[in-house]
Amino acid sequence: MIEFGIRLTLRGGREAIVRLTLTAIAVALGTWLLLTAIAGINAVNAQNLREAWLNSAPGPVARHQESAPSGGQGRWAGQPLLWKLQPDFYRGQLMGRLDVAATGPHSPVPPGIPHLPGPGQFYASPAMIKLLNAAPARELADRYPGHLTGAIAASALPAPNTLLIIIGHSVSYMHQQSGAFKITAIQMVPPNGCYGPQCAISVGIGANGMDLILSTVGVGLLLPVLIFIGASTRLSAARREQRYAAMRLTGATPRQITTIASVESAVAAAIGVGVGFALFFALRPLIASFPFTGAPFFTSDMSLNLLDIAAIVIGVPAAAAVIARIALQRVQISPLGVSRRVKPQPPRGWRVIPLLAGMAELAVFIVVGKQKTSADEVLAITPGFVMLVVGLVIAGPWLTMVGARLLAGRARRPGSLIAARRLADNPQLGFRTISGLTLALFVLTVVISVITSINAHQAPPGGVIGNDIVTDQISGPGSGPARAVPEPVLARLAGIRGVQTIMLVHADPLGTKLSFGSFGTEPASLVPCGQLARIPVLGKCAPGGAVASFPPEVYSLDIERSTGQSGKVWPTVPMTTQRVAAIGVQTIVVATNGSPTAIERARTYLIDSFPSGGIPVTQTEEFFNSDVTKWQRFAYVLIFASLAIGGCTLAVTVICSLSERKRPFSLLRLTGVQLRMLQQVVLLETSVPLVLSALVAAGAGLLAAYLFLNSQLGFALRWPGATFYVIVAAGLAASVLLIVGTLPLLRRMTGPEVARNE
Amino acid sequence: MTSFKAEASGTVLVDEDVIEARDIVRSFGATPALRGASLRARRGEILAIMGPSGSGKSTLLHCLAGILTPDSGEIWFAGQRLDSLGETQRSRLRRDRFGFVFQFGQLVPELTAAENVALPLLLNGTRRVHALAEASFWFDRLDLDGLQGRRSGELSGGQAQRVALARGLVAQPEVLFADEPTGSLDSLTGEHVMSLLVATARAEGTTVILVTHEARVAAYADREVMVRDGRVSYGADDRSAA
Repeated sequence: MIEFGIRLTLRGGREAIVRLTLTAIAVALGTWLLLTAIAGINAVNAQNLREAWLNSAPGPVARHQESAPSGGQGRWAGQPLLWKLQPDFYRGQLMGRLDVAATGPHSPVPPGIPHLPGPGQFYASPAMIKLLNAAPARELADRYPGHLTGAIAASALPAPNTLLIIIGHSVSYMHQQSGAFKITAIQMVPPNGCYGPQCAISVGIGANGMDLILSTVGVGLLLPVLIFIGASTRLSAARREQRYAAMRLTGATPRQITTIASVESAVAAAIGVGVGFALFFALRPLIASFPFTGAPFFTSDMSLNLLDIAAIVIGVPAAAAVIARIALQRVQISPLGVSRRVKPQPPRGWRVIPLLAGMAELAVFIVVGKQKTSADEVLAITPGFVMLVVGLVIAGPWLTMVGARLLAGRARRPGSLIAARRLADNPQLGFRTISGLTLALFVLTVVISVITSINAHQAPPGGVIGNDIVTDQISGPGSGPARAVPEPVLARLAGIRGVQTIMLVHADPLGTKLSFGSFGTEPASLVPCGQLARIPVLGKCAPGGAVASFPPEVYSLDIERSTGQSGKVWPTVPMTTQRVAAIGVQTIVVATNGSPTAIERARTYLIDSFPSGGIPVTQTEEFFNSDVTKWQRFAYVLIFASLAIGGCTLAVTVICSLSERKRPFSLLRLTGVQLRMLQQVVLLETSVPLVLSALVAAGAGLLAAYLFLNSQLGFALRWPGATFYVIVAAGLAASVLLIVGTLPLLRRMTGPEVARNE
Repeated sequence: MTSFKAEASGTVLVDEDVIEARDIVRSFGATPALRGASLRARRGEILAIMGPSGSGKSTLLHCLAGILTPDSGEIWFAGQRLDSLGETQRSRLRRDRFGFVFQFGQLVPELTAAENVALPLLLNGTRRVHALAEASFWFDRLDLDGLQGRRSGELSGGQAQRVALARGLVAQPEVLFADEPTGSLDSLTGEHVMSLLVATARAEGTTVILVTHEARVAAYADREVMVRDGRVSYGADDRSAA
């Protein structure tokens, strides 16, 4: 029987081949998306592991934490490596700077280089080498003492475009560097396990973030893909069922029919899986080059393990066979035909319970409060989101039926009446057509609402400020005592084209503290009011003073702590400008005209002049590496993928529906019904549940976002901006256009030749 | 069931009853289709069931063939109760001991004509080579030579009905059920099909039970019965034993 089923599938003539091809293409697309999602997750984990050596920590470590990746050597033998890792920036790009000095011949060697660079030498990643050659020396290369010794191998780089430099120094030089520490072995510490000053730079997304993404992907992307694959295997189901009836008449048992149906679906799915794998490997280099997480992947990192492959190779055809079996349960194929089709029971109101349960689960955590760790957070909120997504799929048919009955009651034209009755008769089918888009819209609403709210919370009403201000903390915790800044240095700094003014932040011998409301008090520094007045965006002095208290870490002047920096009034202290000028400087603030050249030249000059200090940064660079930015990029990819899959499901299901009804539609046309009315029926059948479900999905998404923000982040929902409404409108319009695009098929499929007896 | 042989003096030689329906009642929802129909058919007999539209004749045929199960009553076939068998057993019966020719052929469009004819044998587990060889035999007998490789869409109405007839006979059934076998054919083609059906059935000793509303088709039968309002009334040439 299996052989017979395979023969029937593969040698059934032109029509069977067309059907097989369409199904296989659809399954191939779904398989490709599945494989890409799985490989993408593996790539993120691989990227995190590649970066892990950069998070090496000071002091002796347990054996199991030690690692000797390629190029790594050395054990704890009294010859530690002096190590200082800092993020650096160039024209908005994050760079990693690792200053090292070996204390002996057996000091640990970082991966990717054959041996440690000595004083006056450095290794750079290929992308960094390219940048050093392209950028003006005064903007970049002058920061790095010495000459290029070699390239860092790809095995040590998180991404192909990683900008990383390993600079060699003498031991005595490194002892003078604040923030440098000794490491006894290169450790592999993934980002989510890294705490402390050694976790200076981060590429990719931490593992806890990945758990959240995995569950989001699993539900928000895989479910629509599975729906799409299921819909694809149902292509021409009605035609197949008629064939099964003929076979039943000839004496085929129900079990034989089930076997043949399963084999047909499995064969089409198996071919589709094969093509899907081919698509995956063909497009993998292109997909890997896309910076989903802020950085592209190495192609080899987008890998699949044996379990992944087995799950897809076996799982997709098996799922197709199961879907075919389940679908046969819904119809009664007798020797007389598929005439006594089992009428589906109308959906009941209980179907909204899972949706409400998902809301309730998220709402509970408003009372319970934020979870202690990220892992707990994921465990807490994931069931709620999963229930919401599943709840939407379960409630969808009931909502469709309610809408259809309302429409039927108000229908004035035969087209709308037919459409409404058909929807009310089989709302499950009506909802299945647009289920993928509904889920995509829910995911879109949640993601954009959350990101909009987070961004709004972190930025003042006027927007992000200080993009044109470079701050260099040259002393303080981790950077040494406050020091004098020589006048020639200030003069040369001021002479850089584009530098507008310089403000010096001095240590405070008075021990003044600044209050930051609910965040408590912090030790203050001092600034001359005259200098502060030239940078109004940082606030102003209270009237009557010459010197004011000011936060020492200007670049960590968190925007969320105060709203509207230009309105901030700093309290003055009883001190003269001459007195404060003699006190050591902690931070140099350089206001520029915002041009990248001015910013980079000022930065390079400051690094060169104060090598023991930190890396000068601007305000936006402080937020550059934030997880929100990375998740935002990944989220948009997820959204567009979901919308694309939803659109594909819509197209496949509409074509299925047209194919199943071509004979009755053809007969209607023969009796004089205009094609336009039939087109109206098709359009209404899909657009009515689409609009209705869109409203519910968007509402559920907003509520879910509100509950999440409130319970886990502690701030309010900010309504999405114009982008959201544009995307939704564009998505709905594209869906309607997709349906309209299938209408020409209706003319061809309902021609008079279709109505003839076979 | 009665079993007797008559003399050659003019009484028709009959064999035992091969299939019998006793007081069959069948409804579709609230609509009764059969209200206690009883019928017998003998081995080798060609029996025509006639009646106006909606009288229940097709329903009676479907019950006799095991396609439908009656709400009450009994169907007997070769000494065995048919109506109490499960769906799988009835399917096997249809495959191995019954044949069917319906109005619209009901060929499987993805299969060639030869494969359609061989289908009952393939479903029974016969090897493909043997099944197709057996099918080829019927192509010769039913003037279908040269059409083995064609699909149903490439056959004329008459050709498709003859392919269906070949499929119905390939397993050498004991009973052939035909429901309006010429209903979609022109009169000339219909006569050709009926001639072949009857000649082949007689040669094979197959009992034929056919439903028709056309008198000229019923004229091919040995006996006619009339179904009215869900009951069977017998015609003047009824030879069923009391």
